[in-house]
Amino acid sequence: MTVKRIVAFLLIANHIAPLAALGGGFDRAIDAAMPRVVKLYGLGVGAQAGYGTGVVISSDGLVLTVFSLLIDARRVRAVTADGTHYEAEVVHRDNARQLALLRLRRASEGLLTPPSPPEGERDWETNSRSGDQDGTTAREGDSADGFAFFDLACGAAATDQAALRAGDWVLAAGNPFKVADGAEPVSVVHGVFSARTRLDARRQVKEFPYHGDVLVIDAITSNPGAPGSAVVDIEGRFVGMIGREVVSNLTHTHFNYAMPRDVLCECLNEATGVTPRDALGLAESGGERGVDPGIRLMRTAYRDIPPMVDRVRRGSAAELSGVRQDDVILSINGANVANPEEYDERLRMVAAGEGIDLVIRRGRNIVTIRLEPEKR
Amino acid sequence: MSKRKCQLFPGSSERGVRFGLDGVTAQAPGAPGFHFARGSLLRLCLLLSAVNTTRGQAPAADDHEVLRASQERFRAVAKMLRPSLVRIETVGGTQPAAPQPPEKPTPTDPDEEGPPSPPRLQNPFRDAPGSGFVIADGPTTGLIYSADGYIVTSSFNFVREPALITVTLSDGRRVAADLIARDQVRKIALLKVDASGLTPPPWSTIEELHVGQSAVALGLGFGGSDPSLTVGIISAVNRMRGNAIQTDAKLNPANYGGPLCDLEGRVIGICVPMAQRAGELAGVELYDSGVGFAVPKHRLDTIVETLATRGSVYRGWLGFVIDPRSPDAAMILNIAEPSPAHAAGLRPGDKIVRANGRPVLHYGHLVQAIYMIPAGEQVILEIERDGIAFSAAATLARSSELGPLPELSEPFDPSTPVPSHEPEEAPEEP
Repeated sequence: MTVKRIVAFLLIANHIAPLAALGGGFDRAIDAAMPRVVKLYGLGVGAQAGYGTGVVISSDGLVLTVFSLLIDARRVRAVTADGTHYEAEVVHRDNARQLALLRLRRASEGLLTPPSPPEGERDWETNSRSGDQDGTTAREGDSADGFAFFDLACGAAATDQAALRAGDWVLAAGNPFKVADGAEPVSVVHGVFSARTRLDARRQVKEFPYHGDVLVIDAITSNPGAPGSAVVDIEGRFVGMIGREVVSNLTHTHFNYAMPRDVLCECLNEATGVTPRDALGLAESGGERGVDPGIRLMRTAYRDIPPMVDRVRRGSAAELSGVRQDDVILSINGANVANPEEYDERLRMVAAGEGIDLVIRRGRNIVTIRLEPEKR
Repeated sequence: MSKRKCQLFPGSSERGVRFGLDGVTAQAPGAPGFHFARGSLLRLCLLLSAVNTTRGQAPAADDHEVLRASQERFRAVAKMLRPSLVRIETVGGTQPAAPQPPEKPTPTDPDEEGPPSPPRLQNPFRDAPGSGFVIADGPTTGLIYSADGYIVTSSFNFVREPALITVTLSDGRRVAADLIARDQVRKIALLKVDASGLTPPPWSTIEELHVGQSAVALGLGFGGSDPSLTVGIISAVNRMRGNAIQTDAKLNPANYGGPLCDLEGRVIGICVPMAQRAGELAGVELYDSGVGFAVPKHRLDTIVETLATRGSVYRGWLGFVIDPRSPDAAMILNIAEPSPAHAAGLRPGDKIVRANGRPVLHYGHLVQAIYMIPAGEQVILEIERDGIAFSAAATLARSSELGPLPELSEPFDPSTPVPSHEPEEAPEEP
């Protein structure tokens, strides 16, 4: 125990002061959680809220949330911490644990028709990037590598989970009552981790199907919109996600709990066909795309522009092979591509496991780059 | 004590902490624990205060360290008190009678001869659960009170009148327990197990408590052998007529009956549901709300002594009905026979102007004055009758000791909104 710790011990033991004064102490946790949750908007029926929260768990935009009516909407929208709107596609439903896995897709990109912004969301157009005059600015900060995400480290033993002990401070970041509007940051509530226990619960009158372990916390999170909130400890480590609103059969109280990280991992392991961290690229990503080399092109709704690289996902085949931002792709596997649409079309013709030869204009130079397929 | 006034945290800077360290290590050698000289702390406190005034905001890193240390402290508290915690399980029993919906006067045909008197008038003195809360059958928590087997917990845990009660001691032994008695007013229950050498916890005294200090509530209501833990501060030290400490730690059926503790591992009080109205379950609707109550040691000692020697404590009743037609005064409409009010010589038409020295302008004031006074204790009422004031002493009775209400000489109009008839019973919430 460090001497500093000892002093802190003494202060705590005797002074017993308002911890609220310790604003800075939660900085790490907040910095970790805030950019890694998304606000979700979808279908609301009756007492069921049409909004919620999700946790980003991969750089390519996989989002974990709770299973609810919300995700059954024809169109589920997700808003990231920077206010960018995405379409969210449901890629896995886990009824046993009442979880769902979504994949974010830029609302203005890909094969989906860009939806017209609903009334009152005029900022949508400005958030979706239009081609810039010089083609070099207006990056999304330094996030050219994709989404900020929590690494659930499902392969690793549950060591960090064991580290969470009763009495540890926890923060839950989410959007209860959807008070965070538009691009506003989500709400953070704090409490301590109370106990790990088995959930014996019901929803209204129906039994709740999940009977596994949950993390009981003493922050009030049993509120509409809060399910799907990320729960972190004060080191900013992801420890769980707020589950659906239920009433505990043990105490008959509305239960403030989180689904533990290891239970979330069980869900992910079952999500066959979904690659949570296809960081090496060229992995099958499902849906219409054949392969995903990790290149995101500049898109604009107004002008026909050549396929110019907007972002290269960190760790992707494209990055490993040296593709850079602002590269203009001239051809794929020998076929010229004049615009992003042609690029998409050519890319779909690439089978998983094949390499991709790109001819690229970089500044005044023409370079040839080969993207190696993922090693199987 | 200046120690309490000193705000260490808001500005404890890097330098401040180092400064303080020297002081502490020099003056309080040994384990960084729970006992140190008051003087050294005071000096540390002053030292830090001085530093704080000259330095700006604390670096976040220090705040983070303090938070980490606080986690360790919460855990240490739980560990220290674990030997005094027991898990209580009950077998059998039923839900208490469902609360009656507010009985609306049945619309009667005005031409009908002699409308039936409203049902509440026929049975006005009745113990009610006080809440529609459905009690679960999960485990609950208790605290060792004495080494020879007395255990205190919340009466909430026995509202179902269970047939069998077992207690699991901290060493894992599970033994049968007898419910000695209950205090329905302070929501405390006393259990006895055949065991010796048990470990009562250390207690803090009410004098040491101050609003704003941190508090930890422990419970075993989620199962398992490790206590659940919730953290808050002391919100008030004198609630419910001095019967309760208030905290914003999240109290709920998982920790009712468990201890509310200070950060030195001493018990502040026993967590119970409470409300400013009667009913066995009154107050449970406040669970997890940030408004929770705990009965402090000095009250608990009195309560336990009463429960152990004289048996259960019940809510006290005066046994009269207040006239709802005069909302601006507490005017007696009818008096049960027998009843404490009857024994004290009260009559219909008497106006209650004070109760135990507190002015009474309407029914609610009367409730406020006596809601925490159990049966068997005396209430001094000041009465106005025909312009003459006098006082009368009434010893409150249990509801079962009250006789029926006599017929009213003049018919009572049932269409008049009828507030609760019980002197201390607020109308049930719908």
